[in-house]
Amino acid sequence: MSRRIFMSIHEREEDILGIARAAREAGLTIVDIYAPYAVHGLDQAAGFRPSRLPIICFILGLLGAGLKVWFEFWTTAIDWPIDVGGKPWNSWPAFVPVTFEVMVLFAGVGTVIALFITTKLWPGKRAKIVFDGVTDDRFALLIVEQDATFEPGKVRMLCERFNAVYVEEREEETA
Amino acid sequence: MTAETPNVSSDEMPTHRHPGIAESDLSRPWIADRLSRFRVSTRTVRSWHALTAVGAAVLVIGLFLAPARTWASVLLASQFLIGLGLGGLFLVAMHYLTGAGWSVVIRRIPEAMAALLPVGLAAVAAVVIFYPSLYAWTTGEHDTLSGFKGLWLNYRYLLLRSAAYAAIWLLFARALIRNSRAQDTDGALNPRHRNVALSAGFTVCFALSYWLASVDWVMALEHHWYSTIFGVYAFTGLFSSSLACTILVAQWLRGMHAMGGIIRDDHLHDLAKLLMGATTLWMYIWFSQYMLIWYANIPEETIYYVHRQSGTWGPLFLMNPILNWIIPFFTLLPRFCKRDGIILARIAMLVLVGRWLDLYLMIYPSAFPDAPAFGLWEVGIALGTAGVIGGLILRALGRAALVPLKDLYLRESLHHHQ
Repeated sequence: MSRRIFMSIHEREEDILGIARAAREAGLTIVDIYAPYAVHGLDQAAGFRPSRLPIICFILGLLGAGLKVWFEFWTTAIDWPIDVGGKPWNSWPAFVPVTFEVMVLFAGVGTVIALFITTKLWPGKRAKIVFDGVTDDRFALLIVEQDATFEPGKVRMLCERFNAVYVEEREEETA
Repeated sequence: MTAETPNVSSDEMPTHRHPGIAESDLSRPWIADRLSRFRVSTRTVRSWHALTAVGAAVLVIGLFLAPARTWASVLLASQFLIGLGLGGLFLVAMHYLTGAGWSVVIRRIPEAMAALLPVGLAAVAAVVIFYPSLYAWTTGEHDTLSGFKGLWLNYRYLLLRSAAYAAIWLLFARALIRNSRAQDTDGALNPRHRNVALSAGFTVCFALSYWLASVDWVMALEHHWYSTIFGVYAFTGLFSSSLACTILVAQWLRGMHAMGGIIRDDHLHDLAKLLMGATTLWMYIWFSQYMLIWYANIPEETIYYVHRQSGTWGPLFLMNPILNWIIPFFTLLPRFCKRDGIILARIAMLVLVGRWLDLYLMIYPSAFPDAPAFGLWEVGIALGTAGVIGGLILRALGRAALVPLKDLYLRESLHHHQ
């Protein structure tokens, strides 16, 4: 199956912000935006859904902390109790530093792995660069051409309004 | 890429322009004028003054009827006020040193908080001069103090040190704020450069002097007890409470429409992130102090926590981490809570109450180890402190434009995005 993609290249930050907002307001479907650096306010302009990674991060942190507390309790109070300075076996203050570290480890490493999974960045994946300039000094906006509402002429005019330096239509294979 | 790539030579490139900068609201003279003439309604000022008057009345009566509790309360108030004043200067210094652009529009708030410093210093001076018996070591129990401690805890030397701390802080406060305000009129770059250098000096002097001051004025209340992390612990409370105060004032100014929407959700968001970080640092240091003492289990160290965990002190001791970290941290985790002025202001209020409780738990158990002393004197002086904070900050805000009008980074700050 394939879909038609409309790509518009811009040279300035305010143009890409402007066209992202205008395209969203015109009801066009923005596939993605490529920029050489993080542009503040771009995801709001394009109406992208906020990332759900923080929720995954939070759950993984809780999981790591919970597992560690259980493990420490099991080792020090159940499986192999050792008397340390006459303190009770299940002395929670002693568990806190390690629990904290394992929580950070789970949340940090787990979130990076989750990011790789959601963005399909497997090891050995080949880079797919839509336009050479986006790694240097150009901004690229990709719009999917939907059957009913899409009018290439109007979209071209929109691109020109925001000083597009280059516009291209292409066929993209989708899995 | 098979298609021809556009090739625009650099001389054909249009001049780079940021969105909206040319249309910056501050270029309109009437806005700058409005920001320079910020005045609070007399009703608001009067209500803060009324609170101060209540506090003063309770203070005067308390000095005769319940001197021990009143003086302990005055010491608490002094540490609260000094914390906010120095914390304000610390925030200003940090933003200068890191070259932060986003925070320029809120800089006048921590600058205004520095006005609390003289009052706090006057309060602690009164305690040290008129009621030194709050510190048991001044009453002549010297023989039990070991070598260095015996040398350090000397009354005249304490007066000298206290005067030195006050001089250092007041001089830095005056210089930093004078330079910042001077820039408003001529827009020269020199004041900023001078303030960056001053901030570097202040940060080093502040770290050393506040550490020693918190040991002298608070930790020495129980002179046999010893905690090497106490200065850091006192600092973390100062950091989170001054951020909370900055947030409260910022949200109040937004509510008053005093600044025409200049402080936006994006600025609050960054302040909220700093507050989360500061409260977490407080928790980290609180626990570091607790755990080392718990682990080593040396009687002269554990006695500090034994008093604070027994009897009615116990619930208060547990309340401390709940107010200062658990509630703020988990409430501020979601993004929308950091951007909601009302939620954020409530959390900031909670952190300030938590700071009061934290200082209460540092100061009061030394004089009242058996049960917490709490009543008219504590409430009255706390209300008076709130009145002093509100009144002085509002007055200081009116002394200069609400925004550093000619700061180099003002435009960056106006267009700050999260």
